[in-house]
Amino acid sequence: MDKQQRLKNWQEKTEHLMNRFPERKERFHTSSDIEIKRLYGAEEETYPIDKLGLPGEYPYTRGSQATMYRARFWTMRQYAGFGSAEETNKRFRYLLEQGQTGLSVAFDLPTQIGYDSDHPMSRGEVGKVGVAIDSLEDMEALLKDIPLDKVSTSMTINAPASVLLAMYIAVAEKQGVAADKLSGTIQNDILKEYIARGTYIFPPKPSMRLITDIFAFCQSQVPKWNTISISGYHIREAGANAAQELAFTIANGLAYVDAALEAGLEIDDFAPRLAFFFNAHNQFFEEVAKFRAARRMWAKLMKERYGAKNPKSWQLRFHTQTGGSTLTAQQPDNNIVRVTTQALSAVLGGTQSLHTNSRDEALALPTEESARIALRTQQILAHETGVADTVDPLAGSYYVESLTDELENIANEYLAKIEQMGGAVSAVEQGYMQREIHHTSYETQKKIENGQEIIVGMNKFTIENEEQPELLRVDPELGEKQKRKLKTLKSTRDQNRVSAQLETLRSAARGQDNLMPVILECVKSYCTVGEICGVLREEFGEYTGV
Amino acid sequence: MKKTIRVLIAKPGLDGHDRGALVISQALRDYGMEVIYTGLRQTPEQIAAAAIQEDVDAIGLSCLSGAHNELFPEVMRLLQERGADDIIVVGGGVIPWEDIPFLESKGIKKVFTPGTPTVETAKFIEKAVFERDGISSSKGAATPPERIDHIGIAVSSLDEALPFYVNQLGLTLEAIEEVPSQKVKVAFIKIGETRLELVEALSDDSPIGQFIQKRGQGVHHVALGVSDIQSRIDELKANGIKMINETPVSGAGGAQVAFMHPSSSHKVLFELCEKSKKEEA
Repeated sequence: MDKQQRLKNWQEKTEHLMNRFPERKERFHTSSDIEIKRLYGAEEETYPIDKLGLPGEYPYTRGSQATMYRARFWTMRQYAGFGSAEETNKRFRYLLEQGQTGLSVAFDLPTQIGYDSDHPMSRGEVGKVGVAIDSLEDMEALLKDIPLDKVSTSMTINAPASVLLAMYIAVAEKQGVAADKLSGTIQNDILKEYIARGTYIFPPKPSMRLITDIFAFCQSQVPKWNTISISGYHIREAGANAAQELAFTIANGLAYVDAALEAGLEIDDFAPRLAFFFNAHNQFFEEVAKFRAARRMWAKLMKERYGAKNPKSWQLRFHTQTGGSTLTAQQPDNNIVRVTTQALSAVLGGTQSLHTNSRDEALALPTEESARIALRTQQILAHETGVADTVDPLAGSYYVESLTDELENIANEYLAKIEQMGGAVSAVEQGYMQREIHHTSYETQKKIENGQEIIVGMNKFTIENEEQPELLRVDPELGEKQKRKLKTLKSTRDQNRVSAQLETLRSAARGQDNLMPVILECVKSYCTVGEICGVLREEFGEYTGV
Repeated sequence: MKKTIRVLIAKPGLDGHDRGALVISQALRDYGMEVIYTGLRQTPEQIAAAAIQEDVDAIGLSCLSGAHNELFPEVMRLLQERGADDIIVVGGGVIPWEDIPFLESKGIKKVFTPGTPTVETAKFIEKAVFERDGISSSKGAATPPERIDHIGIAVSSLDEALPFYVNQLGLTLEAIEEVPSQKVKVAFIKIGETRLELVEALSDDSPIGQFIQKRGQGVHHVALGVSDIQSRIDELKANGIKMINETPVSGAGGAQVAFMHPSSSHKVLFELCEKSKKEEA
């Protein structure tokens, strides 16, 4: 098909689509009343249509939808959670009142590592970096009065993802919302836990089984759920550069695809529900290019390597969070500016949802005021700057297109190397990615210390005698309260049912059947996160690091 | 032969953020220390046991999850219980400023907050270990001053100012003398362990003369008593502190003195001051 024909088809298709999903405005225009077109550049003689495609079309360099933010802004999704389920529920309802459009749950470390609040390993950690969830009872309190058929919820949970997803389904059922009406995401990306984030429980093999079980279960039961969020975010936070973030994330993605295929799933049955999660770091244009390169790489791999037929399988949809490790403890208000430019790169890179960090996160959990400024930052970008009024505005920039190509090339070299090592799982087991990241992170540290890299307010433009801002404190009694709550639960629930369900889980773990339905029954019987993961620990063993 | 310092870098609790722990491990190694990294998810018991078994000089605890107030003191308690509390323990991570005094009261020697250069941490550990072992350090951080030797106050005229100190406050005048190197005349007034030094300019182009012209009378400098002044100056210089006097000059009372540049010391003019042995006695 020749280029003009493709463009014409695209225009017709887009007009048709707009009948169902109208744009935000009848007419977009600048302050000087210049009309803003939906798309620029594509009608040019020299437009490289095979390389860039058109928005919403293969290979999606310019965006995963045809009208992008002219139809609907990205989802503003602030990661939140601390202390008890009740406190976090309050913060969620506050954020929704403030105009946030999706929820994102932070769990505390015991929950993420499958320990109950009364486990010795949980000491000092209960409710600290997120909300403490021991049983369905806590999940009910967390989601109280939040209409689960209307909000989409992202849960940062990996090793015990099945358990928390099951709890979410069970709470929805109690609210009268069927599982097929639920939308949201579980992170469920164990490979990057081994590489960079550290909240793993089980060894790779059973972990991959839990993941593919979720893929299969959701395909039939929770079809609107994003079953995994393949995350470069934490790889970047651990010190990787943009190319490494891109390459290792895609390599991990390919490992999940291979595992699902091996488990007997069809590519087009699960690939449309795979989601991604990237970091928005400081180097503005490189970040924009990274997002564009990621879309193009994934589309090519899905179509060409795996023969996926459904365009939804080709589309890389992603969440973005601004880079936490770029925040300074010194002069924390400067972080608002960092977050703004990082967020802008994510928007210009075409993110589907965005979390903007709060200014005080290098010091502690954000206060309510800081969290509000972070959300307002996104709202200002969306409503005041006009950056969302045309699709992929940086396309055709010599610099951005060249960076996009180069990042893709470097990432492809990494992918080839990882493939030679037997794929991402075995590269992780050999510590390859961990070493590469550490090398980059140490080099960066040295550059900062010798002044080659300047961090404003930290190694240059410093001030003396900084005033210390007010910080959020988590209730130090929470650990004890949560323990008491757990004790009461254990004395009031149907203990026989609990024991029976846990035994069913044990035998299912030994067999081959999908574990999700069994885990769902466990949580409905008020088995705790620690009990369920405890049985799986006994059956699967524990990962102990490289 | 110089001692090789052994350090255990440990991640207590469930926190999985180990970028900082890995970076500091390598930085300490590059500085010449032997470093053992525990890996993630260590209980305080495991950390204390590893430190004792590995016979380390120091432990670096890294925590970004907010569990530090519970886990760091527990490590200290266990070390003490096992008679290993001579091990120097420092901490780092996301630790709010307001928690630092509490942690230090539990025996944590120092908490390094985000943005600390790794070499600063290395020097601190080295100095703390050398001090503990009674080894004098060659490149550690400067040895702390021992006392406030005196506080310098610029006055327009000694004759006018002295009655206030001697008659109104009832303090004792110790001595009056001229210091040619500074073109000043000074009066020492004893107060407890230290002194007030009233300084009058002998000429308008002397430092005190210029000070009074620019800013009027008032507090001029704080003199810190040190021993071995030249090596103190060298250490400060090595740590990037600007000195007005890079070699000591003769001050009042036969002392050797050197001024630091206020731009390096948050706008306070500090004088290093070494009294001769006779004077001390």
